[in-house]
Amino acid sequence: MSTLSGARIATIARKEMVDTFRDRRTMLVMFLTAIAAGPVLLLLVLNLAASQAEKARELRLPVAGREHAPALIAFLERQQVTILPAPGGFEERIRKGELDVVLDIDAAFGADVAQGKAGTVRLVYDRSRDRARASIDQAEALLRAYGREWGRGRLLLRGVAPQVGLPLTIEARDLATPQSQGSLVLFLVAFYGLFAAVVGGMAAALDTTAGERERASLEPLLTTPALPLELATGKWLAVCALNALAVLVTLSGFYLTLRFAPLPTIGIPFLFGIAEFARFVVVLVPLILLIPAILVWFGCRGRTFKEAQSNVSLLLFAISILPVVQMFMQRKEPDWLGWVPVSAQYALLTRALRGEALPALELAQSYAVPALLTAGALLLVARLLSRESVVTGSR
Amino acid sequence: MIVVEGLAKSFGRRGEVKAVDGVSLTAADGAITGLLGPNGAGKTTLLRMLATLVVPDAGRASVDGIDVARDPHAVRRRIGVLSDARGLYLRLTGRENIRYYGALHGLAGAALAARIDRLLDTLGIGPIADRPAQGYSQGERMKVAIARALVHDPAAILLDEPTNGLDIMSTRALRALLSGLAAEGKCLLFSSHVMQEVAALCERIVILGHGRVVATGTAPELIARSGQATLEEAFVQLLGSGEGLVA
Repeated sequence: MSTLSGARIATIARKEMVDTFRDRRTMLVMFLTAIAAGPVLLLLVLNLAASQAEKARELRLPVAGREHAPALIAFLERQQVTILPAPGGFEERIRKGELDVVLDIDAAFGADVAQGKAGTVRLVYDRSRDRARASIDQAEALLRAYGREWGRGRLLLRGVAPQVGLPLTIEARDLATPQSQGSLVLFLVAFYGLFAAVVGGMAAALDTTAGERERASLEPLLTTPALPLELATGKWLAVCALNALAVLVTLSGFYLTLRFAPLPTIGIPFLFGIAEFARFVVVLVPLILLIPAILVWFGCRGRTFKEAQSNVSLLLFAISILPVVQMFMQRKEPDWLGWVPVSAQYALLTRALRGEALPALELAQSYAVPALLTAGALLLVARLLSRESVVTGSR
Repeated sequence: MIVVEGLAKSFGRRGEVKAVDGVSLTAADGAITGLLGPNGAGKTTLLRMLATLVVPDAGRASVDGIDVARDPHAVRRRIGVLSDARGLYLRLTGRENIRYYGALHGLAGAALAARIDRLLDTLGIGPIADRPAQGYSQGERMKVAIARALVHDPAAILLDEPTNGLDIMSTRALRALLSGLAAEGKCLLFSSHVMQEVAALCERIVILGHGRVVATGTAPELIARSGQATLEEAFVQLLGSGEGLVA
């Protein structure tokens, strides 16, 4: 038996890197997706958040039948709401998305109130429209506040303490630090950080494996003294280097976007500075190493580039769906999720974005399984390459 | 020297396809031994077993006394293989392709550079050596593949249909190169389904048919044994049919 040669592994890794770097199309696609996709999406979302905040600050509320409740209108105007006359056919216009919300005051409002009955106002909106949500919530909150104030006044007039009617005081204390708000933006940055680590090396991994087989350069390579494990390791290292590059480019894209792009003037709900950049890299290291190992294994199993590609796209789908599921999970995440690759990294990334330091124990936990899987995948690749079927094409 | 004794290999789920079925042969140093047979006769499988890519089901094969199944790694260091598949890395230059194999064989530095220069010179591909392989003609690719197989100065050289796809000038250049290598004392085993080529180049000819050795000998011996007038007639007679052979 021969021992592994570091020099040969380095030779293989270097050759694969040169080969990939000269593949202009692959490199272009990699850089475009890495630079453009994440940061561009981020800008869009931030602008959306800004316009929401804008709407919430200056509510413009079309009102139908304002003459029926002059006191309510006066209250709203005191709260800086701009009252507009409601246009005709406003229900249709709300449905089309031209209006966010309309206040419709019942014609019998004055008469009902005079008789001691509750007056009716209708708030008309379409809650399925995300854009309208801020306006809707604010209008609703203002109407509730008006109702409370009115009721309190009545109780006082009758010599009853307002607490009788309002036994519960809700004091809200929002523990979110400035960074921990804006969960969608948070999700996006974490997700694209992960995404870069997952797809960054894909094209290169398939090219050095299935591509090598398809181009008929694998058979001669196997007649050299390079051992299967050396080939597996060298190819894996080359893909890892490329993957790391993709991650660094993506994170730099985030850093530059958040720092220099003309961002809307809402308080950006989190930081992505040098410290977060570094924490992201630390968290993503296990994936930067693991995913190429898995991709190389998939690539070796495919007899053609096409075959390997379709296998890999299935894998990528499974990986990328994990963070989405996690984001929509309502309960606190179970502890065992800290062992699951991708999930563990996603959780740690969101913590890093919230400005928390990374707990060493959980970090170690998130490294453990990927380390084992990486070693396992490399051994599987080596075993595949030492089988004669890799040359003869039979299975 | 290459020695093959009773080598056998089957494929298929139950081993129903006998690609090589008890082949014995010897290829001496300082000579070119030709493996002649129609397509499907088992030439490629036989060469793959010698190149340690395929494990024999039965029998033995050795290169300079080293068993291919027992110590494939040592065998790989002594052989240069121009296999059936001979793809280059198209984004690398010819020189880089050759240098990669040299480095995998443990060569480096000035010794490797000098060796590559000599091979490029012998094969007459110096002028194109620093262009990407993408733009090479069929013949140029073949020459780079041969240089790659010879970069570590192997004692034994296996060539699977080396003249496939070559034009006449390239074929002649290749023949000259192989004769030169034999004169240096190398052991060459050469497979082809082209009779003329084998007849022109090989001292000893091994005729394969359906995975078995049909006849062995020099061209005059084979003619004499078959009782025919020409080598072509002799082949057809020995194989039972001329199917799959090219005159």
